[in-house]
Amino acid sequence: MNQALMQMTVSGALMGLVYALVAYGFQLTYATSKSINFGQGELVMVSAFFSLTLTDLGLPYYLMIPGGLLFGVVAGLFVERAGVRLALEQKSEGWILMTIILGLFGFSAAENIWGRDDRPFPTPISSDPIQLFGISITPLEISVAVGVFMIMAVIELFKRKTLLGKAFEAVSADRDAAELMGISATRTIMLSYGLSGLVAALAGILISPITTVGPTMASALVLKAFSVAVVAGLESGFGVVIVGLFLGSLESLTSYYVGSGWREAPGLVLLILALAVRPTGIFGKGVIRKV
Amino acid sequence: MRRGVLTVLLVGLLATQAYAADSIKIAITGPFSGGSAPMGASMRDGAKLAIAEINAAGGVKVGAKMMKFDVLERDDEAKNERGALIAQELASMADLAGVIGTVNTGVCLSGDKHLQEKGITKIITPAAGSASMTQWSKAKVKDLSIFRFAAHDGIQAAMVVEEAINRNYTKVAMLYDSTNYGVSGRDDMVDQIKKQGNKLQVVVSEKFNIGDKDMTAQLLRAKNSGAQAVLIWGIGPELAAVANGMAKIGLKTPLIGGWTLSMSNFIDNSGKNGDGTLMPQTFIEEPITPKAKSFIAAYHKAYKVKRIASPVSAAQGYDAVYIFAAAVKQAQSTDTKKIKLALEDLKEPVQGVIATWKKPFSAWNPDDETTHEAFRREQVVMGMVKDGHVVFGNDADRQRLIKNATSVKGKK
Amino acid sequence: MLKRFILIRGIEGLMVLLLAAIPLMINNGFMLGLLTLLAIYGILLIGLDITVGYLGLINLAQAAFLGLGAYAAGLTVTHFGFGMLSALAVSALLGLVMGGLLAFPSLRLEGPQFALATLSFSALSATILNEWESLTQGAQGLQLVRPPLFGLVLDAKGFYWLCLCMLGLVWISMKNLLFSQWGRAFEALRDSPIATDAMGIGTYRHKVTAFALGSGLGGLAGGLYAFNFEYLQPSVFVYELMVILLLGVVMGGRKSLWGAFVGAILIVLLPNLLSNRLLFQIFSAIGFLSALGAGGLALYQKRTKPFQGVAPMIAMGLLVVGSLTVQNTEDWRKAIFALMLFSVVVGLPEGLMGFAATFLSKIFKIEPLPLATPSDLEQVLVKRDVDGGPLLQLQDLKCYFGGIKAVDGVSLTISSGTIHGLIGPNGSGKSTLVNVVSGLYSPTGGSILFQGKPLVRGSLFDVARQGISRTFQNLQLFSELSALDNVMVAMKGWYRSSLPLVLMGLAKKDEKRAEADALALLEMVGLADQARIPAKDLPYGAQRFLEIARAVARRPTFLILDEPAAGLAHPDVMALLGIIRRIHGRGITIILIEHHMDVVAGLCDMVTVLDGGKVIAEGLPDVIKRNPLVIEAYLGKGSGTASPEAVSLATPSPVPA
Repeated sequence: MNQALMQMTVSGALMGLVYALVAYGFQLTYATSKSINFGQGELVMVSAFFSLTLTDLGLPYYLMIPGGLLFGVVAGLFVERAGVRLALEQKSEGWILMTIILGLFGFSAAENIWGRDDRPFPTPISSDPIQLFGISITPLEISVAVGVFMIMAVIELFKRKTLLGKAFEAVSADRDAAELMGISATRTIMLSYGLSGLVAALAGILISPITTVGPTMASALVLKAFSVAVVAGLESGFGVVIVGLFLGSLESLTSYYVGSGWREAPGLVLLILALAVRPTGIFGKGVIRKV
Repeated sequence: MRRGVLTVLLVGLLATQAYAADSIKIAITGPFSGGSAPMGASMRDGAKLAIAEINAAGGVKVGAKMMKFDVLERDDEAKNERGALIAQELASMADLAGVIGTVNTGVCLSGDKHLQEKGITKIITPAAGSASMTQWSKAKVKDLSIFRFAAHDGIQAAMVVEEAINRNYTKVAMLYDSTNYGVSGRDDMVDQIKKQGNKLQVVVSEKFNIGDKDMTAQLLRAKNSGAQAVLIWGIGPELAAVANGMAKIGLKTPLIGGWTLSMSNFIDNSGKNGDGTLMPQTFIEEPITPKAKSFIAAYHKAYKVKRIASPVSAAQGYDAVYIFAAAVKQAQSTDTKKIKLALEDLKEPVQGVIATWKKPFSAWNPDDETTHEAFRREQVVMGMVKDGHVVFGNDADRQRLIKNATSVKGKK
Repeated sequence: MLKRFILIRGIEGLMVLLLAAIPLMINNGFMLGLLTLLAIYGILLIGLDITVGYLGLINLAQAAFLGLGAYAAGLTVTHFGFGMLSALAVSALLGLVMGGLLAFPSLRLEGPQFALATLSFSALSATILNEWESLTQGAQGLQLVRPPLFGLVLDAKGFYWLCLCMLGLVWISMKNLLFSQWGRAFEALRDSPIATDAMGIGTYRHKVTAFALGSGLGGLAGGLYAFNFEYLQPSVFVYELMVILLLGVVMGGRKSLWGAFVGAILIVLLPNLLSNRLLFQIFSAIGFLSALGAGGLALYQKRTKPFQGVAPMIAMGLLVVGSLTVQNTEDWRKAIFALMLFSVVVGLPEGLMGFAATFLSKIFKIEPLPLATPSDLEQVLVKRDVDGGPLLQLQDLKCYFGGIKAVDGVSLTISSGTIHGLIGPNGSGKSTLVNVVSGLYSPTGGSILFQGKPLVRGSLFDVARQGISRTFQNLQLFSELSALDNVMVAMKGWYRSSLPLVLMGLAKKDEKRAEADALALLEMVGLADQARIPAKDLPYGAQRFLEIARAVARRPTFLILDEPAAGLAHPDVMALLGIIRRIHGRGITIILIEHHMDVVAGLCDMVTVLDGGKVIAEGLPDVIKRNPLVIEAYLGKGSGTASPEAVSLATPSPVPA
């Protein structure tokens, strides 16, 4: 029984890491613009389909990855231009609707271009399980974990070490002050959407071999990612990893011990509770209302 | 003057009727988009293939005229609300000869009552759980215009349970999706286990949701409780996730379940993990008979595919159209009520791709819904996934079908 | 007046008659099905519009309330044999209660967090409906039979008329509500939740009420939905439906009953529109041409940003290309919906009806209703007796933010009937001090006595209810509301008709009286002739005065004016002096935060000077001017010899921050 507990915790935690990665994409844009892409799930899915097409065209796996990521960046920039910028200029929350609409379009386009069926995503990484301390785990799952940590580390380093990254941090900290210092907030927001698209594309490429590629592949995923991002706090950086791991294992354990139909419930309750008690998230900062 | 207007109106009315009477207006409904689209679209394509064949041959002879089929397509998106609206729309068409289609039980439950109210003949195919017919027997309807042309879940569940018993299993795990289809499949299986003498013990009964990719929890419970087989009811993508999950945690028991295990999205996505999976089938995409051979070739050619997304749906759609055409011919009318009567008493056998149908339906008896069910146990075989295709699970079935086909030919 | 009545009421009446008569003229089951659905969705969208339009929040839970209402009706009928009306009442009530319960935790959230909370609620309720098989029969679905209405078995036509009646009732009561103090408060709290609290309206309780009402309508629609389809499945009431509902409201037009109705028409008819190819081609061509025309014109006249003009053209152009090339348009349904929405949201942010309303009122030149005659100011602001005793006493008041000691041990007494000046250089803690007193911030330490009793802490709303009213340094007007409405919102506490009376339209008298009183106040600040202008379109000075009028509308004992002269031109400053004197003349005690020394000198009976969060001087204005400590605080050390006027020179008209 104890072994089952371990197995469930580990396999849930791995899923949780993917939640965290998508949630991280939300954080990137929220930091600079206080907006997130409600169509992020569709972005994950469309990027995955695009990468699959690259593979079908005969591109080897490791060359396909940069191609897929580039597509994610472009798609992210498109979302910013078409769905977010106008609303931000008008200081309205119109971006919520606009990104939902863009997501809807992406969904329908994918359905018609790539078909409604789920399709397998080839990968050179093995999916034959290996035993680690009595727990079954596949190299594929390990690659997901490695990929998630790697991309987050790279982006955090970029933010801290490069000039562009520092501009990013400056706009996140205080947009008005940054603009007075000559940093273009618009460009930085574009950068953040590009990065967010990149993260989404990577998430798509990483999970596709496990979950297969289909128009609905990310709709459940993105709901969890929302929860993770909000519970952790939309501005909290690595908090998403902790919350992601926690939520993933919690779900997995719930479905094992309570019943698989209730799998989604703890995450949702957690989200509503977290919002009620700490609207800025567990790792978020409080805000002072100024008048 | 007034008379003149009346005449013009009357002539106009007659003219439209004369125009409408030139063709057999038939509606094909089903989910052509969304998760159940492979079934709906394959059924539609199979049915349209049959219609194209009939129309190319000049149509159906009604009286002195040769009448062609006129098809109306409606996508119900697998949504109940759309299904109800489409049924209302169809029910308000005066010249509709009949309806073929529907995949989702919920759509039947919310839509068919409108058709039944107007007495419009409908052949449900390719699927729909038991409730789509039992709703009428429960309501003690006297006269029913709804027929079903699908291996009902009862037959399928019986075969699945039988297979498990034949393999001398005693403990099984039951997995099903959280939709109407999955849950009623579970109920049918539980029912059949009772009927077949309680020889199986259900050690685990677990649900999964549409879109779930991680089935570790359910499967781990199955493994830890020592299940010897996994009996499953669901739709393609999730079934594949189960097969892959079983491989991951090393659960090496056979997967037996509903006919949806033959869908391409299961076979493709489970890869080698899906090999050996067993499921009842009404049609196997193997050119074992001349009719099957020509059907498969025509389908591949018409829709430019190398494999049918859901062969069962396509074949059922195809045969349903031929049966319907036979009823039109026998009724010598496009009146939907007359077609219904003809369907209940088809004189001539209809050669379909699944079987040669002799009196598939009989007059409705509210105590026995099988009167409006075409499929019997003998039309259903056990299929098995092997190297990316569905093949016959038992060679005996294969031989039997070949023999049946030749014997009918011999009679001719 | 008559024209207005005929046009607005007439169109409504005509619409109802037409809708009611269709089934009599055309005997078509499909048409009837669509119309019934239209009525049900109409109710649902009106409910959704309360949160999305009036509160300005993205609400993703309405589909869940539809589901809960539907199941409530279905279960009470199948399990307890309820009749039609009682089952519908249960549906609406369940929506109302669940809406209230959801609102409590989630309405403190804004923007994306609120959207997410409602999204989770939807997912959770779908899970519960699906898993609680013993009650709901789970995924198998719940079959039910439409119960009789007072023993009368309704056929499809009868049921349609019932739905239409319900829509009519909802329409009328919502109209009553939205054009009352309540509707005004809903809109106000969308524009500035802080100001609604400071006006004693209670942001939170209004939000909860609005949300619960909207959810209740969702529940009612659910009940009708259940009786219409007679078969329910949890999987119907999910995210996808929600997105469509939301888009329906936005496309039809927010903050408008007609908009919700048009949205419902779109949702119901769109799938049928797409199944006819020619119709769809014509439709997309019209869309493209209008985007081209309207966008081009707007661009030419430079009324809009390039993006707003061009993006709808591209989207509608794509639609035209699609309608000509794509084989099966039904397959692309979602994309088509998305393109249309995109164009509407970008090009017509007010939605189709918002656009049509502006257009129609221009064509027919519909005049707004005439204003009431202003009341007598003497009666609106009854003169208070002042005894000159201490009204507000602060003792050792502290307010720290982390390490920053914004207010550090201030003791201060304000006598009733005075104008008390509070001055000090930037960052000296003036604003923080009044923010603590008015309840925006909680003090870190010390005590506040108001009229001899301890004052509630840390709640704008509760403080406002004690008779303290305020203006804001950074204007917090309800920018979308007219000047008149801005003032009337603040009177809400005074004119109290219970919600049921308002819904039934029995509060019109109250409304007229409030309008007359509000006009008196606008007259007092010289804005009576600009009563109908939205606050955001008023000149800056007028906005300042409006905020004062709004604060006075609370009929406060004690008024906080936070830099009312900031950014005002000289003539406006003179007018301001007059206004403040007039208010003071009604017996209202005032604390005035100000940089302008001449304003302070001209008005105040007493002045307190803050620096670094501490009181450095207190006394009569003339004495304070010469206090070396004060001069030093303003000008820095070594300026002790500066002339008195230096203080005012040191602070040239500060820009509004």
